[in-house]
Amino acid sequence: MKIIGLDDPEVKSSLRSAGVGMSVQEARSIAEVLGRDPTLPELFNYDAMWSEHCSYKSSRATLREFLPTDGPNVVMGPVEDAGIVAIDDQWCVVISHESHNHPSQILPNEGAATGIGGIVRDVNCMGAKVVATADPLRFGNTFGPEANKARWVAEGVVDGIWQYGNALGVPIMAGDVVFNESFDFNCLVNVVAIGVVKKDEIIRSRAPPGAGENNYDVILVGKPTDASGLGGVIFASEALREEEEEANRGAVQIPDPFLKNVLFKANEDLFRLVREEGVEIGFKDLGGGGFTCASSEMGAAGGFGMELDLDLMHTAGDFPPEVLCIAETQERFLIISPRSQRERILQIYNQDWDLPNVYEGARASVVGRVTTHENYVVKHKGQKVIDVPIQHLTGGIRYQRESKPRIIKLAEPAVDMPADLNQVMLKMLGSPNIASREHIYRYYDTEVQGNAVIRPGEADAGLIAPVRGEKFGVALAVDSNPFYGRISPYWAGATAVAECMRNVAAIGAVPSTLTDCLNFGNPEKPEAFWEFRESVRGLADSAKNLWLKGYPNQPVAIVSGNVSFYNEAPGGSIDPSPVIACVGIIKDVNKAVTMELKSPGNRIFLLGPRFDELGGSEYYRVIWGETGANVPQVRFELERSMVYTVIDAIDQGLAVSAHDISNGGLAISAAEMALADPARFGLDLEVQGSGDRRLRSDKLLFSESSGFLVEVTPSAREEFLKLAGRYGLQPVDLGSVIGERRMVLHRDGKKLVDLDLDEARKAWTGGLVEAMR
Amino acid sequence: MKIAVMQFPGTNCEHETLVSVRTAGMEGEIFRWNRPEQELSQFDGYIIPGGFSYQDRVRAGAIASKEPVMDALREEAASGKPIIGICNGFQILVESGILPVPGEVSMALAQNVMVQGKKIVRRGYYCAWTTLRHEADPGRCAGSFLIDKGALLQVPIAHAEGNLVTVRDGLVQEMNDQGQVVFRYCDWQGRILKEFPVNVNGSTENIAGICNPEGNVLGMMPHPERAYFAWQLPSSDPRKKVEAPGPGRMIFESMKRYIEVSR
Amino acid sequence: MKINLRVWLVIPDAEAATVKNTLVRRLGYADVLKDVRKERLFSIEVEETDDPLELAGRFARELVNENKESYLASVDSLKFDDGFVPVKVGLHIEDGEAISVMNRLVHRLGLTMVRGVEKATIWKLYLQTPDKEAVAREIAERLLINPNKDRYQILPTSKD
Repeated sequence: MKIIGLDDPEVKSSLRSAGVGMSVQEARSIAEVLGRDPTLPELFNYDAMWSEHCSYKSSRATLREFLPTDGPNVVMGPVEDAGIVAIDDQWCVVISHESHNHPSQILPNEGAATGIGGIVRDVNCMGAKVVATADPLRFGNTFGPEANKARWVAEGVVDGIWQYGNALGVPIMAGDVVFNESFDFNCLVNVVAIGVVKKDEIIRSRAPPGAGENNYDVILVGKPTDASGLGGVIFASEALREEEEEANRGAVQIPDPFLKNVLFKANEDLFRLVREEGVEIGFKDLGGGGFTCASSEMGAAGGFGMELDLDLMHTAGDFPPEVLCIAETQERFLIISPRSQRERILQIYNQDWDLPNVYEGARASVVGRVTTHENYVVKHKGQKVIDVPIQHLTGGIRYQRESKPRIIKLAEPAVDMPADLNQVMLKMLGSPNIASREHIYRYYDTEVQGNAVIRPGEADAGLIAPVRGEKFGVALAVDSNPFYGRISPYWAGATAVAECMRNVAAIGAVPSTLTDCLNFGNPEKPEAFWEFRESVRGLADSAKNLWLKGYPNQPVAIVSGNVSFYNEAPGGSIDPSPVIACVGIIKDVNKAVTMELKSPGNRIFLLGPRFDELGGSEYYRVIWGETGANVPQVRFELERSMVYTVIDAIDQGLAVSAHDISNGGLAISAAEMALADPARFGLDLEVQGSGDRRLRSDKLLFSESSGFLVEVTPSAREEFLKLAGRYGLQPVDLGSVIGERRMVLHRDGKKLVDLDLDEARKAWTGGLVEAMR
Repeated sequence: MKIAVMQFPGTNCEHETLVSVRTAGMEGEIFRWNRPEQELSQFDGYIIPGGFSYQDRVRAGAIASKEPVMDALREEAASGKPIIGICNGFQILVESGILPVPGEVSMALAQNVMVQGKKIVRRGYYCAWTTLRHEADPGRCAGSFLIDKGALLQVPIAHAEGNLVTVRDGLVQEMNDQGQVVFRYCDWQGRILKEFPVNVNGSTENIAGICNPEGNVLGMMPHPERAYFAWQLPSSDPRKKVEAPGPGRMIFESMKRYIEVSR
Repeated sequence: MKINLRVWLVIPDAEAATVKNTLVRRLGYADVLKDVRKERLFSIEVEETDDPLELAGRFARELVNENKESYLASVDSLKFDDGFVPVKVGLHIEDGEAISVMNRLVHRLGLTMVRGVEKATIWKLYLQTPDKEAVAREIAERLLINPNKDRYQILPTSKD
């Protein structure tokens, strides 16, 4: 395509008419490096590789500036498709976290399913067995002006997740759902996957040493390449405009969990083969940017070049070379392996696992070789269509985006003390953002693989025992509060990290690593970019200051993540949503505790002083329709002490149940402990709390300042207080578990709440069903 | 004593099923669908585990039932060797005409329908722990050989199509009379209540598992391999923290005992 | 009046491919069966209306996924081209999905003129044999239905 010698408007018009989205400057810089006009396939390849999704061109500088990505337990930080941390000397957790927001808004079922499909490939390609997923979801207000659309999206997304995840055979162990009008036109579908692998069996996504000198094979495995999903990467990086919805549909990929299920088993045989043969291979999934992205990144990571022949690819038809290069056909992997293994690898996929009969046209094909030269060369129908410096192609570009604080008017509302707190409690328990998640998680096969120890609904985090014969467990939780993000993107980031850590600590697991999926608006808007930077700064501050337990001053590292920009609606950006996932490790799964009340007579302790922090709270929003200003903050030293106290108390058998305080505050958290299955007991509590002096009772009950409620047997009481004292904490003894199905809250002898828990349970279990009907 | 754990494309419970087989003291291996079917005769028993064989295309179990390995299993069933089909495995046995009576497809496992107050409150996929009441006499069925009549077992389900329906007049009565109804969904006290959540999928007479007339073939929708160890139980079950066998273990130990006895 | 929406995939139909593979490799139809395709059929009973095709378009917006599917609407009659045997398979027991579709149309979208929804699959069997209908019936009974919940019907084509 002619670029050299043309003026800017001419270049722009030929780029656009060819369907290439890059800027004129980007195209010129390519021509300059090549010393000639690029071919059309070259431009498409650069366009895909330099997209926001593949190159992080707007975000990379900020991520580098703030995020702690290394720590004592980190085996591999965010350099490949997934991060890895050690569980013990032998085993590791592999984790990856991504978004699939834009496709899910348009085609909820396929969009969400593809999200799960992509994230499990990222984990599997490190040589790991995928053992769990989690799905943080944000939908529009299903009672608002866009109710029909929001319900259609929510239902489709949940269907897509279960239909894919259940068929694949990976349990969905955690997640969260928030409904809010800022997501009316732009839902968020984030997906997290974790896997386990032995440290010495990790497989890297790069051409291994010697690959160039020995001309290693490049083998493409899986579904035949087609045009579906073409432009998906470019699409994920651009704001959705309503009128483009129809035209954009071509960008969504079609997932196939059945083929994936078979591919995973074949991959296990591949891993076994290379272990037994003692050869190192490169292995990578094909995701955004398709064949080009996977092959060029693997070559470049090894310091080699590539020679590929598209005529050797198995395809679903006759497509132009740029389509074959960047199409995002699902269920594909790329292997780089010594020639000596070629026949055995092809045998695994094409005969043993019979791919051609499992999916029409699927197979493994040798499509090229690794070279020692530094170019990325692609042939098609005998012609060389791409010949570019591989490091230039994969190096991407950087933008320093402008950042400007978003000025919003914030004020604390002057609200009256409600006359009937029982009604307030019932209304909040039935709010779609607080109500029981059962309606959704009953669609999820939490039991497949037989590893589930703690399931959704039983505690703040899910827990699995992923390796038979080992006692350790891996806990998983996700969190982000868009209402806090609206007030302060910094504290939204910081509190999301803290809450996620509290979630895994509440079952007794030690927070081990974090991932971040950063969902924001258009980064070319200075305010949206400022929100992004603030959130990253906030979450990084929490990660750095809530030290890895046992390692003072060492962060809980962020080993994987994803940035999703351009989450826009006609009315503006979405609420800033830094979504965090936390993996926790518990040495012995038998020690883990859940959140439901265990036995009458046990004491309930409060950890965490109550502050006047109701900005963005459920109470302000649901009861008063207000946002407020005083968003919860993270007091790092206090937060650490609380998290460590709870972990130690559970480890020493002093706590029989625990629940973190978050949405809805102390009163709602206490109610949840009484409402979770089997829901047999009640509570009688004298509410009080250190912190801000004499908070009005409604604020005391519903402030979302961080904390825990811990159930302790009378005999363990003294030990528990002593333990907390060693961390400088003085837990407040609120009262006791009772045998009656009532929840009584009083203060200074005056009754505030006297709730029939069976009635409360009706509101709590029905809230989400209503919101998604 | 060697058990073949059958594997079709889309099966997803073969590994935990194999763990259960081995922990119960039997040998076992995973048998891929495209292996020569003649090799099946060397095994002493067979388990068809859960999953989505062929992605439930056409109907759950329909495509897998046409594989040559199923012809071989039909013969092994006729020869009296034990076969247990779990979830999708049960669906395959039904579609193969092995259950409930050999030679014909006399029932179907249709989409789940959750009924409460005579109203449909939910449909389709559902994952939850259920309580099963063992309805057969001990020794009646290979897969529940050691279980007392009336015993209650906590075992999870996870399926979209487990609702037993039939157009054959008298089939259900016949199965009742012949002791072919092995498990029913019940509440924690053992009461067979017709409505959701006790009847979790709308199945005729709360039927969760059945055997063939000879008793050597068991099909059940719940997953005993997911309830093999006590730590797998829901957190509200007091047995969770005890180092003890889980309720699902009896299924695998029964199979073992059946093989020992019938040798 | 009844509005029929015939919906088919424009991307590869993995289910139809699996059915063909099974019929050819496992059930011995290699010589007679040339191809298998599939459609979804919604037959929607509505109150009399002047412009049923406009209404069909509104149904399609809800029921057809244009990224991967295409559709054809017709009123009252169903017409198929020659060249294949259309086998309609539906449930004879209560069809939960059809009820859900009906609820969606009526309650969520406010299309109160909808009286009933029937859902079926049309298997299009491309056969090369003198007695196409007999073979189609055999295939339906051997693979496409479970008589305990499904029923089938051979639909007429333009040649009939």
